[in-house]
This record gives sequence, C-alpha cells and structure tokens, in this order.
Amino acid sequence: MLKNYFKIAIAVLKRRKFFTFISLFGISLTLTILIVLTAFLDVLTSPAYPDVNRSKELFINRIVLKSNKENYTSQSPASFYFVNNFVSKMKTPEKIAIHTGRNTTNAYQNNKKMEVELMHTNVSFWEVYQFEFVEGKAFNAQDLENAAQVAVISADTRSKYFGEGALALGKYVEANNIKYRVIGVVKSAPATMIYANSDIYLPYTLAKSGLKGTSLMGEYMVTLLARSTADLPLIKEEYSQLLKKVPHPEKNQEILLSYPDSYLESFTREIFGKGEGSGKDRFFLMIGIFVFLFMLLPTINLVNINVSRIMERSSEIGVRKAFGASSSTLVGQFIVENMILTILGGILGVLLSLLVIFVLNSSNLISHMNLTINLTVLGYSLLACLVFGLMSGVYPAWRMSKLNVVTALKANN
Amino acid sequence: MLKHLFKLIWNKKKENFLLISEVLISFMVIFAVFTLLVHNYRNYKLPRGFDYEQVWSVSLGDLGESKDKDSVGLMHENLRNALKSLPQIKELSFTSSNVPFSSSMYRTRVSYKGKELNTDIYRTEMSYKEVLQMQLVSGRWFSAEDNASAKKSLIIDKCGKEQLFGSGEAIGKMISLDGEEQKVIGVVESFKDKSDFKAPEPAIFTRIDTGNIKNIANILIRVTAGADATFEGKVYKLIASTMKSSNLEIKHLSDLRSSKNKETTIPMIIFFIVAGFLIFNVALGIFGVLWYNINKRRGEIGLRRAIGATASSVSGQLVGEAVVLATFSLIIGSFFAIQFPLLNVFDLPASVYLTAQFLAIVFIYLLVILCALYPGKQAAAIYPAVALHEE
Repeated sequence: MLKNYFKIAIAVLKRRKFFTFISLFGISLTLTILIVLTAFLDVLTSPAYPDVNRSKELFINRIVLKSNKENYTSQSPASFYFVNNFVSKMKTPEKIAIHTGRNTTNAYQNNKKMEVELMHTNVSFWEVYQFEFVEGKAFNAQDLENAAQVAVISADTRSKYFGEGALALGKYVEANNIKYRVIGVVKSAPATMIYANSDIYLPYTLAKSGLKGTSLMGEYMVTLLARSTADLPLIKEEYSQLLKKVPHPEKNQEILLSYPDSYLESFTREIFGKGEGSGKDRFFLMIGIFVFLFMLLPTINLVNINVSRIMERSSEIGVRKAFGASSSTLVGQFIVENMILTILGGILGVLLSLLVIFVLNSSNLISHMNLTINLTVLGYSLLACLVFGLMSGVYPAWRMSKLNVVTALKANN
Repeated sequence: MLKHLFKLIWNKKKENFLLISEVLISFMVIFAVFTLLVHNYRNYKLPRGFDYEQVWSVSLGDLGESKDKDSVGLMHENLRNALKSLPQIKELSFTSSNVPFSSSMYRTRVSYKGKELNTDIYRTEMSYKEVLQMQLVSGRWFSAEDNASAKKSLIIDKCGKEQLFGSGEAIGKMISLDGEEQKVIGVVESFKDKSDFKAPEPAIFTRIDTGNIKNIANILIRVTAGADATFEGKVYKLIASTMKSSNLEIKHLSDLRSSKNKETTIPMIIFFIVAGFLIFNVALGIFGVLWYNINKRRGEIGLRRAIGATASSVSGQLVGEAVVLATFSLIIGSFFAIQFPLLNVFDLPASVYLTAQFLAIVFIYLLVILCALYPGKQAAAIYPAVALHEE
C-alpha cells in the first residue's frame, strides 16, 4: 500500500515540475533557516572545548542587592571578598573556579596595534575548564601565592603577538606596561564560550584592585563543579544557606539575592528572570512563538499550492470515491504523499544547511565557532519536517475528501 | 468593471481565502521591514552634531581605591602636560566614561519650573567642544569666566532645549540638576552620540568639578592626520608610566562608531534576509496558484476571446482580479497596521508608520502585479478555437 502511495507521489511530483520546485524550495529553505538557528543555539549551550563538564556545573555571575522597599537595586558580579571568604568555603562542590570578566587593553608590537583581553583566574580554573595546552602548562598554587608575573596566553594571541608559528614559552608579553612571562599556551577557546574565553590569563593575585575591602560588588565570577549531577540541588541548597550568613549592613542593601544557575539559566535569568524563577520557561516560550510565526507563512503558502494541486486531481479522486474509497483512506493517502514531499524537502534542507554551516564556519565570523549538525539538531529538524508536512497536508486533504463524487467526476477538463 | 471584479472574487471567497490570508501576512512582514527601514534611515539622516574622525578615546581603567580629589586633580594635570607636549596631539579633554559611541551611559533627571526631563549628563572641560568640534546654536561654551561665577554653569543640546523650553529662550535660565540650581550658558546642536541609527536624546554638558573628579577616568584626544600605531604605542607608554592604571585602553571613535552601528545593522540584515526569503517564497506561491487558476479557466477565457475580447482586456482582467484580491488583504492589513500609530506601540512617530504602510502597500501591489503578469500574458495567448475545442 505504502509503496503504491510512494509511486503515485513521485508521479505527481514529476507531472507539474514548477509546482514541485516551489514546494521543495519553500520547505527546504524554511528548514535550512531552522536548522542553522538550532545549530547555533546548540553551539551556544552544549558542552564543548574547553567547558566539557558543563552538565555538572553551576555558575554564579551576579549578586543583587535590594532595599527593603525594593526601590533601590544594584547588581554586579561578586567581589573577591565575597568569593574568597564565603563561596570558596563551600563543601559540596568538587572544585571551585573563580575568574574575572574580560578586561580589554592594548598591546603594541611591530608597529601594529592589538586589542587583548585579560582575565584573572585562580588555579582551580584550569581544572574545571579542560584547556588543551599547546605549550607549557598552567600556573600553580605557588605562582599564585607569590604573585609571579606569569601568563597563559591563547594560541591566537601567540600568533598575533609573536608571529605565525613562533613559539612563545619563556618569552614576554606586555600589557598595561607590565611584562609577563609566558608559561603556557592554550588552544584558543571559541568566542561562543562566553565565560571562559580570553586572550591572556593571569593569576588573580596580579590584579591591581578589587582584592581588598568588604564590598560585595566586584568583578569576580564563579564556576562550581559538582561531583555528579545529583549533587547540583545540594549545592544550590548550600549556597542559599551560605547567603544568609553574608553580612550586608549598608542602608538600602537589606536584601541579598544570588543564584547558582546552569549555563543556560545564567543567561535567561538576566533577560527573562523574575524573582526566583530563572526565566528558562519564558525563553523556550519565546523561541516557540518565533518558530511558529516564522513557519506560518511558508505553511500557508504550501497549503495554498497543495489545494491547487489536489483539485487538479479531482477526476482521480472522483473515480476512487465512486469505487468506494472512504474519505479517511483518501486523506491518509494525501497526507502520506505530502510527507514524502516534505521529507524530500527536508533532505534538501539538510544539504543546504551543511553548505551554509560550512560557509559560516570557514568565514570565521565568530572566532573559532564550530557549528555542527549533530544528532540533536537532526532530530529537531526531522520533527520540524513532520510538523510542517502535517500542518500543510491536513487542510487540503480535508477539502479533497469533502468533494462530491458527481462534481469531481464532471469537473474534469 | 471594478465592481464586476469584486463580485467575481467575492463569489469565490472560500477558494480565495488562503490566498488572501497569505498576502495579508506578507503585508504585515513587509510593513515591519519598512517600519524598521524608514525609522533607521530617518535617524541616519539626522546631523550628528560633532566630528569623530581623528579622535581617540583613552580609558584609564580603575584608578584604585583611596584616591583623594587633590591627588586625582594633580594626576590629571601631569597627564595633560605630558600629552600636550606631543606635537601630534591637537587638543584633549578629560571626560566622564560616556564618550560618544560607548556603551556607557549616565542619565539623570533635571527640572525647570516644575517641568522634568530625563537627560544624559556629560562631564567635560573647556576643550571638549574643540576636541569633538561641536557647533554652538546660541550662547557660548565654558570659558575661564565661569571659574569666578557663583552659580555652576551648564550647556544643553538643541534636542534637550526644545523639550525643556520649547521655542523659548534657554540662555540664562536656571535648571535644577544634582540638587542645585545651575545656569544655562549655551545651546549646542543635537548630540547624536549613541549610534548613527539612534535619534539624539537630551544631553547636558557640565564641567568636571571637585565633586565628581574622582570618577573621571577618560580622555578624548584629537590627533593630527599623521598619527599612526607607532605614535599610539608611544602615547600608551607615556600614559602608563605617568599613572598607575589597571586597564589602560585606547580606542578610536571611528572604530567605536562602526561597532556601535553594527548593533543595528547586523540584526537588521538578518531580519531582511529572512523576510526576503519569506516574500520570495510567497511570490512563487502566488505565481503558481494564479497560473494554475488560469489553466483551469481556459474555457471561459476562450469564450471571451471568441466573442471579441482583445488579448489585453483578457490579461487586464486577470491582473485586475489579482489586484482586487490584494486589495481585500490590504484593507484588512491596513486595519491592523493603523493600530500601531493609534495605540503608539514601540514609541515611534506616527509618520514613520504611515510612510512604512504606504510603502508596504505599494510593494504588495507591485509584487502581485508582477506575479500576475506572466499568467495573464499566457491567458491572452489562448486561441479560442483550441480552448473551446477541448470541451
């Protein structure tokens, strides 16, 4: 039976090549855009070099201080005081990485200007984030304690600073008029690794400010690595207990809020978060609405074309009905035919997205971003394909099944 | 004729329902595209009010804690003298961190006789106007005579002046800012400093004084045309050795401007690509459906030709039908589109929406006519003998 449907579908597709082209064009381009978007979201959120442990990690990126009446709010990353005296005393996490945000400064080498980003980190940072060392190694606790003027640089920085292919170990990089000895070179992290990518990594003891004082606001971020995913709720619990012990005596700072979030939540909280909620649900809702609106137009277009095509076959339908085919059989047949068309369009769409992704990757629009079509992405696009096929097939099939036998047979011209 | 066409479409409203809704949604997409385009283009055409070429912005970074205002003032003077001695530097001014095209903002509320205004505040010096080559509309910029005056003086831009004083005179009026009355001594051209695509907002320029000098960590430098990367490296070294800074950074305003503009243009380009693809898709769909409908009506067209209709009147009828169909969609679409200026969604001026709506209507008509022309021509080429014979 299915084989028959398949044969009919192919025959119909061959009959009106222009219509087939329009349908396939619409389906494949719609899917291409969806697949590329999914791949992009996937690269932003799923674990990859150097952040391979992401499913076991929680991120503390900001603390919020509010007044009792909530008419005064300030938020920023945490201070070193807060991180060092409270967060680093936590027991449940296996490792605690702390680092600052990226600070940009300039470097001048061989009459060229470079912009370099500096990040101050602790030693655990190198254990939580699995950087691949091209040369040398990370700084150790001894370097950190002695405030040794050493730096780990990225491979990109090495080739920009010392020239293509040159080795950097033991040489000096200069930033803010201070020379740092290079003790390690890591493979550059992609720009899509929002927290961990930087050009130069320094021990936090070299930071010129922010290490003293008891203010809670500062520029440090924390990554908590759990022993297993089962520990994540325990860490959240411990953190909320810990917050209660943090003194914040200043006026207008009566309420202290901060949450250890999963990677995705740490972004959605900033944009959609409300109170305790991380805003993840709203984020998915927005994506859903966008995808729906985006697919609406191509779907209506496809429905329109399908209705035209199906009416063209009214004589065939009339004959089948006259010989006793039920409406549901006809509807089933048409939906299957439409699915075959959609899946053909889907295959084209995947091929097109491979091309687009190849172009995007090789253009280096976002440095070191490596978009891929993996199983998740493929799964979602297959789902989109099926939904698309169903949505655009049901209405024409229903219209067709309503056809009156007599008019259908007569309408042939 | 037109009435007849309306009747034809109305009789087949069920068949045409899908086509109408498709054109309707396309209209809404095109309306959004044109609203964005018109809005951004209008802002782009507005004068900037200053010149950013050959201007560098130096961010001194965090100057550390425990600095008292006297030592900051001394450091500023040392730095100024050191930089001024370089021949490539024409003029420089210390300023708050909200330099043009930066992401930094400092906003506050000022009032004049009970009328309030949210405005950007820029801390500047006497040389600021020269560095950015701003144009005065009336009054004067800060000068040495302000040092002696009892009241603090400030300068407002044209945009802020119009919102606060309307068409009246601003010079000499007292504005309440930072909890004290300050005197307006000058009006400059509107200051479009957020990006080329953002309309100017009210701006007030005040002088750096002992109250805020601790937070001043930026310098704007106007350099001569010959200043290159080597010279920039020299300036960097000079500043770094004159003061202790944690993150010294020199940026060119022209670079800041292009990266700021990208915040508008890149999302816009992505949106246009997606919208363009949708419209192309729809155009093909309309084309296909019209073509199919005409093939279905060969008999009718043949009959009309047989009783003397000319080729152009036949193709005219088909194009006319498509236009009437589009009109149905556009009437419904305009009903929705007109709600935007009426309800003042997104805070854009009504004229932007109306222009966009007009352009979108023209675009949709053109699109539909274009899609109908070829099928119409084909219909006109039908020979009555052949068409009627088929029956």
